Amino acid sequence: MNQKKKKLSTGDKVFYVFLAIFMILFVIITLYPVLNTLALSFNDGTDALRGGIYLWPRKWSIKNYISVFERDSLKVGAYITVFRTIIGTLLALVANAVLAFIISRKRFLFKKSLSLFWVITMYVNGGMIPTFVLYKNLGLTNSFLVYVIPGMFSAFNMLVIRTFMHGIPESLEESAQLDGAGYTTVFVKIISPLCKPVYATIALFVAVYQWNSWFDAMLYNRMKANLTTLQYELMKLLAAVTNKSSSLEAMKNSAGSVQPATVRAAATIITMAPIICIYPFLQRYFVTGLTLGGVKE
Amino acid sequence: MSLRSKSKSKANQDIQKVQFTWKEVKRQKVLLIWSFFIFIYGVIFCYLPLAGWLMAFQNYTPKKGIFGSPFCGLDKFKYLFDDPTFVRTIRNTLAMGVINLVATFITAIVFAILLNEVKAKKSKKVIQTISYLPHFLSWIIVTNIIHQALSHTGIVNELLVNFGILDAPIDFFAHPKYFWPIVAFANVWKETGWNAIIYLAAITSIDPNLYEAAAIDGAGRWAKIKNVTLPGIRPTIIILLLVNVGNVLNAGFEIQYLLGNGQILKVSQTIDIWVLKWGIGQGDYALGTAAGMFRSLVSIVLVVIANEFAKRNGEERLF
Amino acid sequence: MKKKQLFSVALAATMVVSSFAACGKKGTEETNSDPATEAPTKEADNGSGTTATQAPTDNGSKEIKEFTAFFAIVPTTEVNDDNEVKNMIAEKIGAKCQETWLVGQEAKEAVGTFIAGGDYPDFMEGAAGQSQLYNAGAFIPLDDLIEKYPNVKNLLSTADWNALRQDDGHIYWIPQFSAMKGEEKLTVHNYEAFWIQQRVLKWANWPKLETLDEYFDLIEKYLAEGEKINGIDNIGFTMLCTENTDFALENPPMFLAGYPNDGCCIVNTDTLKVEDYNKSDIAQQYFKKMNEEFKKNVIAPESFTQTVDEYRSRLCSGAVLGIVDQWWNFAYSVNDSLKSQGLDEQGCMYVPTAITLNKGDKEQWHTSGVDLNVSSGIGITVSCKDPDGAMKFINDLLDQEIHTLRFWGVENVDYQKDDQGYFYRTPEQRLEAAETVYKTTHLCPYSYFPQYSGTCDDGINATKPENQGSELYDNLPDSMKECFDAYNAKTYCDFFKANPKPGPWYPMWTFSNNFDTTTPGGTAWQRMKEVRLEWLPKVIMSDDFDKTWNDYMAAFDDTNPNAYLEELQTELDKRIATYNELNK
Repeated sequence: MNQKKKKLSTGDKVFYVFLAIFMILFVIITLYPVLNTLALSFNDGTDALRGGIYLWPRKWSIKNYISVFERDSLKVGAYITVFRTIIGTLLALVANAVLAFIISRKRFLFKKSLSLFWVITMYVNGGMIPTFVLYKNLGLTNSFLVYVIPGMFSAFNMLVIRTFMHGIPESLEESAQLDGAGYTTVFVKIISPLCKPVYATIALFVAVYQWNSWFDAMLYNRMKANLTTLQYELMKLLAAVTNKSSSLEAMKNSAGSVQPATVRAAATIITMAPIICIYPFLQRYFVTGLTLGGVKE
Repeated sequence: MSLRSKSKSKANQDIQKVQFTWKEVKRQKVLLIWSFFIFIYGVIFCYLPLAGWLMAFQNYTPKKGIFGSPFCGLDKFKYLFDDPTFVRTIRNTLAMGVINLVATFITAIVFAILLNEVKAKKSKKVIQTISYLPHFLSWIIVTNIIHQALSHTGIVNELLVNFGILDAPIDFFAHPKYFWPIVAFANVWKETGWNAIIYLAAITSIDPNLYEAAAIDGAGRWAKIKNVTLPGIRPTIIILLLVNVGNVLNAGFEIQYLLGNGQILKVSQTIDIWVLKWGIGQGDYALGTAAGMFRSLVSIVLVVIANEFAKRNGEERLF
Repeated sequence: MKKKQLFSVALAATMVVSSFAACGKKGTEETNSDPATEAPTKEADNGSGTTATQAPTDNGSKEIKEFTAFFAIVPTTEVNDDNEVKNMIAEKIGAKCQETWLVGQEAKEAVGTFIAGGDYPDFMEGAAGQSQLYNAGAFIPLDDLIEKYPNVKNLLSTADWNALRQDDGHIYWIPQFSAMKGEEKLTVHNYEAFWIQQRVLKWANWPKLETLDEYFDLIEKYLAEGEKINGIDNIGFTMLCTENTDFALENPPMFLAGYPNDGCCIVNTDTLKVEDYNKSDIAQQYFKKMNEEFKKNVIAPESFTQTVDEYRSRLCSGAVLGIVDQWWNFAYSVNDSLKSQGLDEQGCMYVPTAITLNKGDKEQWHTSGVDLNVSSGIGITVSCKDPDGAMKFINDLLDQEIHTLRFWGVENVDYQKDDQGYFYRTPEQRLEAAETVYKTTHLCPYSYFPQYSGTCDDGINATKPENQGSELYDNLPDSMKECFDAYNAKTYCDFFKANPKPGPWYPMWTFSNNFDTTTPGGTAWQRMKEVRLEWLPKVIMSDDFDKTWNDYMAAFDDTNPNAYLEELQTELDKRIATYNELNK
């Protein structure tokens, strides 16, 4: 931004033309599946079976949306999902920031061993059944807590924040400590304000994870209709297509009620919409470019 | 830049010199207390379930549970490695994992850097928003589009035939050799914008003074990218690379399952699909656990090696 | 600053302590209570969670019991809690049930977590995981309860009930779809067949196709005419070869050889021996024919890689002349689409053919009656606090009035009754019944609870609208009526001979469905499926049929098919022995 209004060299011009072409192509390619889904979601289900719908609905219909919204469970699911996204994101952000802060302190005694402790957790997994039994014994099944507690700390998120914190000059911390600041103050007053971009990134990751979660709802709160989540309800629409059935009778029964691709599309659009709406608020932390970085020093 | 990393590695050496003394413990008691609680959390939620690994050595039945099922030694592992189809799934998973890793990694970094070069703020924001949208589409939707585009009558064949590159349409899903590239493409398509977010965040933290200094030194665009931007996001790149090296055996499940068919089963089946079909789908949890253990072991070994490599080169590392 | 530190530490401490306390409490609760008496998972708003399952208390006999059910099966349409018919039924019988289905998991996976957790809903069907549930002791024996409730008792014949007895002599589950009362009423041939478009038959002036050769001859001749539909060239023949619907690829030889739908093998009725059709001459003959047709470009080359969606959209275009498939896998969606495009009147709807490989072979595409599925069904679990009430619920659902409410709906709303008491639906009612929204808010079939096919107690109407004769014929487009008339048929079943069940063992697929890799036979079965999926397309597309066929046979033999046949034979012998012993 600082070399404003400088004259562009020929090389620069070529570069910008190339860049523009590349970006336009990129946008077309990535936008296509989304637009295709949007078009499908507004198309009549029976008509869409024929295929051949690309960017525009052939036979308009809002029935797909109605049939998704008509389910009571969807409303409950939406409510729970919003709730878990907010709480889960806040908890995870604080938790991982604190952990990353501790591990990134150069004087911390167990820096290395604790790092290893968390890195390993990324690659090991006891399996579905032991985890289920554990959560059941902890009283987490059939409860809202199972959505926010187990995923609170995550090695990956911690590592991303830690890497960012490593980039912050130590002199800042040292001078604060000379002024008598403890670790808590350093964390809250000095490090965290500088970490806004990475916090925004992690908040986005966790929020999207929370928003898209369905497996925990299915596994731990299966029989709890009032703790269902949005994505779980939508998975029910998808499941009929991907699952295989054991008996002929079951296949016969489900074939009559397979949700058409158009309902799937409508469901997808419904879940995407809120994320797209919230995104611009987070985006300023990582797309504003060079201006924000200057706050650091 | 080199100065910066040098000072950091020096700092690292200082850390190892911190002595375990009562005074030091007192000094950082806040850190220790918090880390202790977090450690307890980690033990409960991440390590306690590993008791389930006992299953891999048992003829597990849900009725008897982990502590009641009869042990069978290494039978399950033997079964795994005696089965040529399982060995083949390791190859497939590894191949697809590596191809996907390289492809998605490079495209995300390149995209982030190029996007950073877009100076019009509004376009930049719009492009970035659009780029990550496919991340929210489920695989079933994405694979449907890909499958149709590549089918006999799909757009790809039509173009290739019209441009005279092909004489007759080919069925991309009937030939094993196309499968891995298709999977890699699908991953790149869906995740490039999403993966780039983390690099974009890292780029914002680069000190603008560095660019100015480089400009004064007469650095051009490429020199700035090479000497300022890339080194600035280098720690992030290294950390993500290290993390993902451990994930090469997680090439996925859904995409291969949805795009595969009987004829190309030999290249499309991943460990996850195999485990679902032969382990969990058959009620044999022990087999699934054994396969999972094998994968964990390989992952940890790979990560440790990669981490050591990073350490030797004075790079950012995991532990 | 100091304060802040202290505060944060205290906060963390309380958080951790309280979470531990919560665990501890839960832990003791669980050790104190006997697993058998543990409350089943209930809606939270039921307060203590136990009142709901208890028998009606003295204060209000109108209290509605709430049961829970889990079916390890892909979901059908889920109904809302305020669903109209659901609440009407609840009013009448004083009970309702919250149904939950399998989502995103394998049946065995889901069942495994239930067993590990030890908590079950009141009703359960494990489907592929049924035997696991049984082995884990999740089900209670139903014998006494069945005796107590006449509707349940009359659901199946004594012989059928006996076939359901497990090793310990008790009955643990009730198959939902294996009961029929009164005269059999069927309108569609639900199973597999070679289907051909109406326009092809009409063009050839309604020939009676008897063999596979005749079938393909006709398609070839029609293709040669070069007609187009909607501007698209005709496709001669296609089939779906995905992993979940591999039957269309591999099992036509079984039918073409004149055997009924045992699904996994042929049972020789003279010797009572299980035979493998995959290796039979018939199979070789069939695939050679397919290979020839492929070379003649009759079979579409994309058949072997297409997805279900692509397959259906191809059929919806109206261009595919012939298919081999089971009715349910294509008809519902494809027929609707053809109708909405007006292609039904252009003769694009499919008509079944009763063909065999050689002229004069016995034709057994269609067997009458319902199949007894012994491998799975609905059971009452040990977590159910009121098994008696649960069985009463099943019993009440089988009551004719409730049964009609479940499947036909509400009179004058969902269907009409004429002067003779014959049920029919107006076109609007028919359309509405197919709407997803309507299914969610109004209709409540309890589709995975026991039910009857056949005729209602009034002796006039079919138990379900889809089996009501007029519902089908009246609903057909004129082109199909013409075709049905030409073949003197009123229903799709009339295109076939009515074959009785071949024997008490039929069908064997109820056994092979439960195969798992714990036995050599189950492992072989799984391998065979993979080998067929890989090789049969190669065989059909081969330039050198004999060589590819031999390679296929070699790969097939590697799967150890004998172990598989042996296990089937054991089961067959067992079924016959049980039948003979219990029904002397």
